[in-house]
Amino acid sequence: MRRAAGRAALGVSAAVVCTLVLGFLILPIAALVTYQPVARLIEGFGTNIATEAMLVSLKTNAIAIAVILGLGTPFAFLLARLRFPGRSIVITLVELPLVTPPAVAGLGLLVAFGRMGLLGGTLGTLGIEVAFTQLAVIIALLFVAGPFYLRGAIAAYEALDEDLLDVAATLGAGPLRRMAIIATPLAAGGLGAAAAVAFARGIGEFGATILFAGSLRGSTQTLPLAVYSLFDVNLDQAIAIGVLLILISAVVLLASKLLIARWTSSKSISPSRGELSPSTPS
Amino acid sequence: MPSARLIRSVAILPAAALAAVAAGCGSSATSSGPTSASAATPAVVLAAASLTKVFPEIEPAAKYSFGGSGALQMQIESGAPADVFAAASPKQPDALYAKGLVGKPVQFASNRLVLVTPAANPAHITSVSDITRPGVKLVICNATVPCGDYARTAFTNLGITAAATKNVVSETTDVTQVLADVALGQADAGFVYITDADAAQGKVHVIALPAQAKPATKDFIAVVKASHNRAAAEAFIAKVLSSEGQAKLRADGFGSP
Repeated sequence: MRRAAGRAALGVSAAVVCTLVLGFLILPIAALVTYQPVARLIEGFGTNIATEAMLVSLKTNAIAIAVILGLGTPFAFLLARLRFPGRSIVITLVELPLVTPPAVAGLGLLVAFGRMGLLGGTLGTLGIEVAFTQLAVIIALLFVAGPFYLRGAIAAYEALDEDLLDVAATLGAGPLRRMAIIATPLAAGGLGAAAAVAFARGIGEFGATILFAGSLRGSTQTLPLAVYSLFDVNLDQAIAIGVLLILISAVVLLASKLLIARWTSSKSISPSRGELSPSTPS
Repeated sequence: MPSARLIRSVAILPAAALAAVAAGCGSSATSSGPTSASAATPAVVLAAASLTKVFPEIEPAAKYSFGGSGALQMQIESGAPADVFAAASPKQPDALYAKGLVGKPVQFASNRLVLVTPAANPAHITSVSDITRPGVKLVICNATVPCGDYARTAFTNLGITAAATKNVVSETTDVTQVLADVALGQADAGFVYITDADAAQGKVHVIALPAQAKPATKDFIAVVKASHNRAAAEAFIAKVLSSEGQAKLRADGFGSP
């Protein structure tokens, strides 16, 4: 009896905790979505300022994520496989931007790449104009969102079976082949998840961008910057763009979860392990 | 059941979390306890970014939140716990007065819009007409904040709206961001108040606007109706309007109301 009562109490408190946590996380989003009639909300999605900001956001984020994947993937593979003195320091450096306040990141980019910054003069003589251009937005995204991919990708490569790669090496696969043909397909689920998180972070990026790239409609004004410039003028429109941002992030996160679930179920590790088993004649 | 202990310890966590929240609320409730007016409680002042330097000189004891006048207006509309609102234009206080959210706004100073360039002046700007040259990077405030409104008025008065607008590379939500962009050398030029330019001593080069371009820039102050600290609010405004407060405003470059 007493045990049953204890169980019931536990069940009730579990329900209370779940409701509290979920309710707290969902309430602001629900408030944004229900702030105005649906028709008005959808109207807000299609305003000029929203469309222009959407185009800027998609373009800069697409370029940034391409660079992050292109450079970040081999970097993460190397860092995951190599053991060298000071490795933990390198990993800490990679993770540092994750915990740097965005405003500080923006200042850092300003004094590094700004016109009067460390590299500003060099870039200027090369004819590369960074200040207030989309290039500045992309640089901010690389710095702020890139480490999210790197951290996830390093973890994904580290989780691989060492033996598998060693076997591939004994079979004559060079490091590049090992990375491209064996490690990357096996780690694809983790890499995809890391890329999704980096993209979602990039879409929401605000602080570093406004400090480093400024804010101009159709040029450097991304969706979050549009929300900021609108909130004291037209709250309805600002909230509509906010909901749009939440929708994009939700779709990205959900799509990545579905893709990864499919990937891990279709590409289970065992068959490839069979193919590569040492018994295969070499 | 090896997990019984785990379950028990996990069950303690929510209780601890709630206790922490309750403790947090408790302490803040006691610190802001007496909501009725008392001379000891300083006024909470929401003020335009251009007043960042001078207001604490006039009344060091008040609590300040500086920002774009438009953003501050929005905060008062959504019930920010403020006692005084000071804006760089009559527009925002008048809008709040019309809604019954602040008392009658009073002009307490005037200001002057100027063009600033980085001290090194990389784009070689010597007069306001130079900002229309192709390739000049110009930064101004949003149209919804007074400094942006005034800058656009200056464009219109000078008949350079199209050419100048084409050179605008960024629009900021308050005047201090324009000044920062110019002082850092990111932008070639920007429109700020003379008082901000003076505060950035040495980092920017100031170019006065021709008389016909100058928009009338007026600073207004009002008591927030929802204030629980009316006495302190009125005392603050009286101090700003007093000869001592006006002298400090003058010393920082503000004009008479």
